Amino acid sequence: MITLEDDRLVFRFPEVHKDARCAIEFQRTLRIPDDGLDYPLPPGMGRFPLRHLDDYARRMPTDWLRRGGVLMPMHQAEAMWINFDCRGYPFAVKIATGKVCALTGETWMNHLNTDPQDYAVLPDQPWLDGYCVAQGIVRQFVAMPLGQGYTVEEQLTGEAQHGGLQLIAYPMKAERYEEMMASVIAGAPLPDADASPLVKSTSMGLAPGGRMRQEIYDDDYGLDAWDQRHASRCFVTIANSVQWMALTGERPPTEAPTAREYTSAGLPWFDYFGGDLTAIAETDKLRGIASVAEMGAANGESPLPENESAEVERVISLRRPGSNQVRELPADSTAAG
Amino acid sequence: MTQFGTYVNTARRSLQAHDRRYSLRQVAGRIGVEPGYLSKIERGQVAPPSEAATVRLARELDEDPDVLLALGGKVSSDLQEVIRKRPRLFAQLIRELRDAPDHAVLRIVREVRDGDW
Repeated sequence: MITLEDDRLVFRFPEVHKDARCAIEFQRTLRIPDDGLDYPLPPGMGRFPLRHLDDYARRMPTDWLRRGGVLMPMHQAEAMWINFDCRGYPFAVKIATGKVCALTGETWMNHLNTDPQDYAVLPDQPWLDGYCVAQGIVRQFVAMPLGQGYTVEEQLTGEAQHGGLQLIAYPMKAERYEEMMASVIAGAPLPDADASPLVKSTSMGLAPGGRMRQEIYDDDYGLDAWDQRHASRCFVTIANSVQWMALTGERPPTEAPTAREYTSAGLPWFDYFGGDLTAIAETDKLRGIASVAEMGAANGESPLPENESAEVERVISLRRPGSNQVRELPADSTAAG
Repeated sequence: MTQFGTYVNTARRSLQAHDRRYSLRQVAGRIGVEPGYLSKIERGQVAPPSEAATVRLARELDEDPDVLLALGGKVSSDLQEVIRKRPRLFAQLIRELRDAPDHAVLRIVREVRDGDW
């Protein structure tokens, strides 16, 4: 089951195990320059708001309402990353945009695959910032309107049908978790269809932005560890700021500062070291996708405002979970918009 | 030590073992109380702090604010407001669920609806 708590999607599987719980949230962040250079990880600037789609059923386009799930606002060309909060019970989580897997580029499937691996393993994977385009490199998730050809969905399927973001989480099998915990204790390693919608149903999709260093870790547990009889999934519809205000009556969050503004203010970027974990490699499909800036240049367009390179000097290194280190803008900072 | 103080002390020390920013002094500074006061809270020498300070402490230690408030003998003001608006309904609901197992309680919470996609 999934509940919406304080702008987080909380996945619980009490029928599997009392500890089977994880939360997923979407962090606002600055858009890293899409200039061919590899950047460290940008900061988190707070959660994007999430709302039940059903709460605005009378105003909602019927094709959005049919999907269920939640609504999230993003400005055009705004970036985000996905934060996984998992306190110890392992999960396998698939992430897709426009129903195209962010790790493999394959079209959406409700089950897990290992060749190539199409899921992230929690809690080893603390975050996901974008599409896996090379081993240890992702291209940032950047919101773009469907229909202009920039999204990964449009690049790989040729259609602008779904947009948004899709998630499905599978808990580890309870018996496997119990065995693992026992070994840890022993010291071993560890809708109203008639109402007229107030907004047009053209939604936002996610497209590949600038490159950053982020490893997506190999599944050390193996496919057999995951309880594929139990899964919960969610469609996150992304509304632009006008649609969001028309539907919810709320203002969306302000846009993040540019990478250059942020860096010039002396604020930190981040690196993450997963210890001895190994990173999965990219697939041919995602290796070949064009970034928003590359595609814009080819089309004679400038889809990314303020895309100047940034000279990163201050990088905070974060280590594996357990230390409660946060990848967030320092609380005393005034650089965030 | 009180249960509240013990819980806070254990949570903070566990974080401090990996990160020096979770020293008593630094945590106190970030939640806006004197280090001596936080020390007394952890040792159970004073009553748990106000609701606002407890929530700040919970967020700082990455703990659930409602759990920490309950350990301090409090119920968050937003929950009190919910009950005050429909006292009979929520009083009855809570009493009926008093002994229900967690999975039965979770069955009545609002789920994110999955649709056709």
